[in-house]
Amino acid sequence: MTMPGIEVVFYTGAIGLIVIGMAGVLMVKNVFRMLLALVLLEAGASLLLILSGFRETGVAPILLSGHAAGQLMNDPVPQALVLTAIVIGVGIQALALALILRIKHRYHSLDMGEIREQMEHDIAVNSGVVSPASAQSPEPGGHHHG
Amino acid sequence: MDNLILVVILPLLAAFLMPAMARTSEVLARVTGLMVLFISIIIITSVWGSVDEQAVSYAIGGFRPPMGIVFYIDQLSLLFALLIPVMILLFWPWNKVTHIREYSLMMLLTASASGLVLSGDLFNIYVFYELLAVASYGLVVAQGRAGKKGEGAALAASLRYLILGAVGSVMMLIGIAIIYTQAGTLNLAHLALLAPEKLNNMAGLSAFALILIGVGVKAELFPVNTWVPEVYGAVSTRLSALMAGLLSKLAVIVIIRVLVLLFPQPEALQLMTILGMLGVISGELVAWRSRDMIRMLSFSSIGQLGLVFVAFSIPGDMGLMAGFAVALHHLLVKPALFMLASGWTGPLESLKGAAKQSPYIAALFVLLVMSLLGVPPLPGFWAKLLIVVNLASQAAPVYQFALAFVLIATVIEAAYLYRVVMILYHPNQGQQASVREKHKAFELVIASGAAVILIAVALQVQSMETKLSSMARQTGDRQHYINTVFSKLDLADIYHQNKVQQTDFRSNNQLQGSK
Amino acid sequence: MRNISSLLFSGGLAFLLLVLATQLPFGHTSMLLGNDILQAAPDEVGTGNIVAAVLLAYRGIDTLGELAILFTAAASVGLILGQRSNHSAKRDKTITESHFITSRASDLMMPLLIIVGFYIIFYGHLTPGGGFQGGVILAIAFFLPVLTRPGTTIDHGMITIIEGLAGAGFIMIGLWAMLYGKPFLQPFFDTFLGNGIFGSLWSAGTLPLLYLAVGLKVGAELAGLLVTISEAPAAEVERT
Repeated sequence: MTMPGIEVVFYTGAIGLIVIGMAGVLMVKNVFRMLLALVLLEAGASLLLILSGFRETGVAPILLSGHAAGQLMNDPVPQALVLTAIVIGVGIQALALALILRIKHRYHSLDMGEIREQMEHDIAVNSGVVSPASAQSPEPGGHHHG
Repeated sequence: MDNLILVVILPLLAAFLMPAMARTSEVLARVTGLMVLFISIIIITSVWGSVDEQAVSYAIGGFRPPMGIVFYIDQLSLLFALLIPVMILLFWPWNKVTHIREYSLMMLLTASASGLVLSGDLFNIYVFYELLAVASYGLVVAQGRAGKKGEGAALAASLRYLILGAVGSVMMLIGIAIIYTQAGTLNLAHLALLAPEKLNNMAGLSAFALILIGVGVKAELFPVNTWVPEVYGAVSTRLSALMAGLLSKLAVIVIIRVLVLLFPQPEALQLMTILGMLGVISGELVAWRSRDMIRMLSFSSIGQLGLVFVAFSIPGDMGLMAGFAVALHHLLVKPALFMLASGWTGPLESLKGAAKQSPYIAALFVLLVMSLLGVPPLPGFWAKLLIVVNLASQAAPVYQFALAFVLIATVIEAAYLYRVVMILYHPNQGQQASVREKHKAFELVIASGAAVILIAVALQVQSMETKLSSMARQTGDRQHYINTVFSKLDLADIYHQNKVQQTDFRSNNQLQGSK
Repeated sequence: MRNISSLLFSGGLAFLLLVLATQLPFGHTSMLLGNDILQAAPDEVGTGNIVAAVLLAYRGIDTLGELAILFTAAASVGLILGQRSNHSAKRDKTITESHFITSRASDLMMPLLIIVGFYIIFYGHLTPGGGFQGGVILAIAFFLPVLTRPGTTIDHGMITIIEGLAGAGFIMIGLWAMLYGKPFLQPFFDTFLGNGIFGSLWSAGTLPLLYLAVGLKVGAELAGLLVTISEAPAAEVERT
């Protein structure tokens, strides 16, 4: 067994980010913080992915940068994959942000529990199971002017 | 055969250009989408049947696999590549007020769905899966029910769906990272070649579990299906039918591909059995308690998808065949039921006597429901029979449990569906019968079409069975997949490389080299 | 109760990953695919930056899918937030001039950012960088005035056209190869473009063109996203 190298640090960091992000998504009530936890989670996964092509002594896979011949290069594939994953993440986060903005406007709340309650009520009203005036789940804020 | 990639490319092209086109001519932009769907159908029908014996692979960019990405075309992917544009066309939002971006999203959905079934590369599958997911988040908002309540519910449902889906796709990404670290490649055929050596261990199993959870979000798999009733309750039945019928099956197809090629160990199958049977029993139990039609159908869809997973988890080609039978049956019946349910909103009690008001629709409903339940001689019976017989023949105790769960779930299903049919044929009219909204013509056409196909299949069970078993044999044949993607020369190369893989490549300052 | 189960799940995930860490060959992976590509890319694709070769040539369809995802997200955000833009267009659109230093600095920065952005796009196949990175810088260049002078708007029609044409351009370059009977997205055209000299700007076949399309698309997409999010809801949230 050789001495653990720098990759152990990176790997622990990736696991840490994933676990913090996961715990955040599951435990936080505020939807915006939930989104931030999601960003952490994605960062952790990206780090894990890019580590799959990491070599302790490797250099960047660019041929013109003039590093000495004979040096090991890092795997270029995970780097391309991570670029793709990051861009995908950005798209999803932007979409989530837009949704959160509109939900805040419509439900006057960022609390996932409250949002869910109001949503359940709206769905029930829509499908005709509950009449709109029913007091089964009173709407916080009360007013719903557009 | 080379033109088949256009099935993915043309919808993307149309989606990119439609918003820009709409600035000059709205009509042109609208027609483009339909044109692309028709062209896709024509392309696929022109190569229909040509892969019955030998599958075909297409290397994008002309790069030799496993370096480049390949599309893999066999009976399964061709069947779904045809079903996708057909179903998108059936559930196309014809509405005049539809925003042009919504058509764009429908096109992106088509492209990503086709890419998902055709792709033969793990990360490429992830990309198309994400595209499918993002397009469906957008569509959930765009096709929310009318009115202020509907809009709010659609927004919230979409956000909750998005967060669950995003966590799922991160899980899938972690799974891919583990596989890449372990095996050093992403091509499914190359991975299939290396799997017995590299992935048949704990790392492989956890990678499969992570991918299963990730893709399972779309496939309504047991612990990650909380979005199902919310989204189906918040969007138009048109989109619910598309999502429950088609999109969930695509995710199942991805899982099956990965399972067959990468994870041959029995533990992977048994994990899927357990999640599947939990899905069956929980879905049917909640469906039994639900108070309106849409919600009942949503939960019953969770149960049906659980059944699909149980079927696919039976080892061997018979399991694949049973899975295809029940998945395709659900793909046919569930959208039709959603179409019928769109005219029957409100609590179930208010539907009293609906059969008297519209006897044809009620008869359709009974026919579809009987097939869903598995009443002989309808196709649903044969699908369920395949599952039950094959489950019973398995020795592992988990399959005996699954058999018990499936039978119990069928009884529950029968109980609540019987209740609904009794309400429909109740002699007294319900109170709201007069204010009930009418079924639209296209809804009835789709439901009738499904019923006609059901009866046709019931008459042709024998030939259907041969088709399915041939499809199952081809899908389950790992060596066939590997040989199709790699030529003999490549294979020799790869075997050679595996033996001497430790010789690392060193950068040899190309600038001063031959160039 | 929910918190405890969440903690348990996260802890289980951490344990699983830690156990895997001891089994996986991190730091010295086998790199089957990577070695092949490192060997073949200079001859097959001709880029100095091998990541660019992977991104645009070997996994070109991934990049197309990723562009499509950004496009989808932008279109969905437009649908979600844009529904009210007609109503909110009536509200007062006074351009509030910010402080002298910030506004002049942003004026100075904009052309510089555009030049840097295009430089990074055009040299993406030779040096670190490329369409995504350059595109983000371009998006920032056009978003900066919106930040420094609240109330400024960007022409959304222009963005729609640029993103549409750039995305179509990427696909057209791929389809062009099919016209010559080659597979979709093959990067070389001996007939027209030639291969250029390795290491110079005009090399690697159609890759620089693809990167230009990617850069413009990402730039338009991100600028559109940023502007839509900053524009539409701010006033609505304030109103409540």
